[in-house]
Amino acid sequence: MIISSTALSILVTTALIITVLAPVILMGLFIRDKKRGQLW
Amino acid sequence: MTGHHDAVLPVDTAWLIIAAFSALWIIVGWWLGRKATGLDGYMLAGRNVGLALASATAMATWVTSNTTMAAPQLTLQLGIWGMVGYALGSVGLLLFAPMAKRIRKLMPNAYTSGDFIRLRYGKGAWRVFLVISFAYGLGWLISLGMAGGVLINALSSIDYRIGMTVILTICVIYTLLGGLRAVIGTDFIQTILILIGIITLAWFAITDIGFERIHSNVLETRPELLNLLLPAAIMFLFNNLFFGVGEIFHSNVWWSRAFAFGEGVGFKAYIIAGLLWMPIPIVAGFIALASPAIGLNIPAADMVGPMVAAKLLGLTGAVIVFIVVFAALASSLDSLLAATADLITQDVYKGHIRPDANNEELRKAAKIIILVLGMITWLLCIPRMTTLGELLFFMGAFVASTIWPIIAGLYWKNANPTGAMLAMALGTVAGLTAYFEIGFYVAALVSTAVSMLIVIASTWLWPCEYNWLDLDEAI
Repeated sequence: MIISSTALSILVTTALIITVLAPVILMGLFIRDKKRGQLW
Repeated sequence: MTGHHDAVLPVDTAWLIIAAFSALWIIVGWWLGRKATGLDGYMLAGRNVGLALASATAMATWVTSNTTMAAPQLTLQLGIWGMVGYALGSVGLLLFAPMAKRIRKLMPNAYTSGDFIRLRYGKGAWRVFLVISFAYGLGWLISLGMAGGVLINALSSIDYRIGMTVILTICVIYTLLGGLRAVIGTDFIQTILILIGIITLAWFAITDIGFERIHSNVLETRPELLNLLLPAAIMFLFNNLFFGVGEIFHSNVWWSRAFAFGEGVGFKAYIIAGLLWMPIPIVAGFIALASPAIGLNIPAADMVGPMVAAKLLGLTGAVIVFIVVFAALASSLDSLLAATADLITQDVYKGHIRPDANNEELRKAAKIIILVLGMITWLLCIPRMTTLGELLFFMGAFVASTIWPIIAGLYWKNANPTGAMLAMALGTVAGLTAYFEIGFYVAALVSTAVSMLIVIASTWLWPCEYNWLDLDEAI
């Protein structure tokens, strides 16, 4: 049972979208913690 | 810069990157370490780490050279299930989230995972656990040190031993200077760098070659990599799931973070880290599938990631992958150095040699232990013994045996201490037997199964009552 090109592209594109969001989320949390004085 | 030409990182460029990032990690480590006062400040970053730094450190520590280099390697060996199976490593982070909450609640003053095993199961199980933890810790450290040497050697003409020595030395210096605060602070920067690098590489693989061409070339040259029913790969999927869970459940790297994160932070941080980590092996592994499409001849499977990047993006690709793996190596090496040193300080030095040592003496001991640990790792990394993947899965037999004793110890009041000790010892033996007799992809699976049977049977047949309050030594 071979994975199709479409299924492979959906799998990788979804993974890539989440990976792109990751630094945005982390930076957002960092700014929030910094403003609240809750970094450490 | 794009271009389809061979590129090797010039030695001068490689040294420039090493110098720049080494200086950055050391300065950040020293700067953050200034506020690391007392034993709690040094070993546990003051026990009040916020959500942003907590999420990033959990994520960065789990994104190791094993993710950025072994995920492409495993994709090249096991295909689609290689990268998806590796992504299941995130299940360990997600499952540890509720445990981190419970650990901090039950043991607000503890330092290590060893503290838990000792207080919950007694000294026999504690010693077996320490052997497993040190075997794993050292195995992971060697794997990381070797990856450093392999990376530098693959991308530039710098000798394997020199590259490995440089990376180890830098990590030892800044971990020594700032303890867990330095580790967590640098982890945040390293996470952002790793993510940006991986996104860039995958983006160019997709736009320069395209899914269709990658798919058709793999189908032509290595069709088994696209086969969803490859038996060994399916076994690997489950094996990796248990391996990841075992690594996280037992390792002091994760326990020390559960103790270090502020109140109410641990659960959220591990959930965020798990969800954001999950796609990384898929993205990194996908890069390896591009190798047939660009006609790359891979001499060693663990070099596929750097080689594809260099082939695709020329010098820029080599620079990006160099920075990504340098950051990934550092983010895990520092964590492992700090956590293993904590375990030796607390469980061996204080637990077995100097029970009356005060906090100041323990802080000094922790620093010496980090240094010695770095030197031992360096010595063991000199001969490049095995591939990264092989070493990694050899350790699976050890760590998977701890999953059930830890779960039962945290949640079952009547778990049997002798059963827990035997589960860890016999689970490891069974896992190692499976590793040699069947293959690397079943070691963790067999180890988990044997350990589970012993824990469940011993608890059912010989239940022992336990008072949770005994876990807090301060009471």
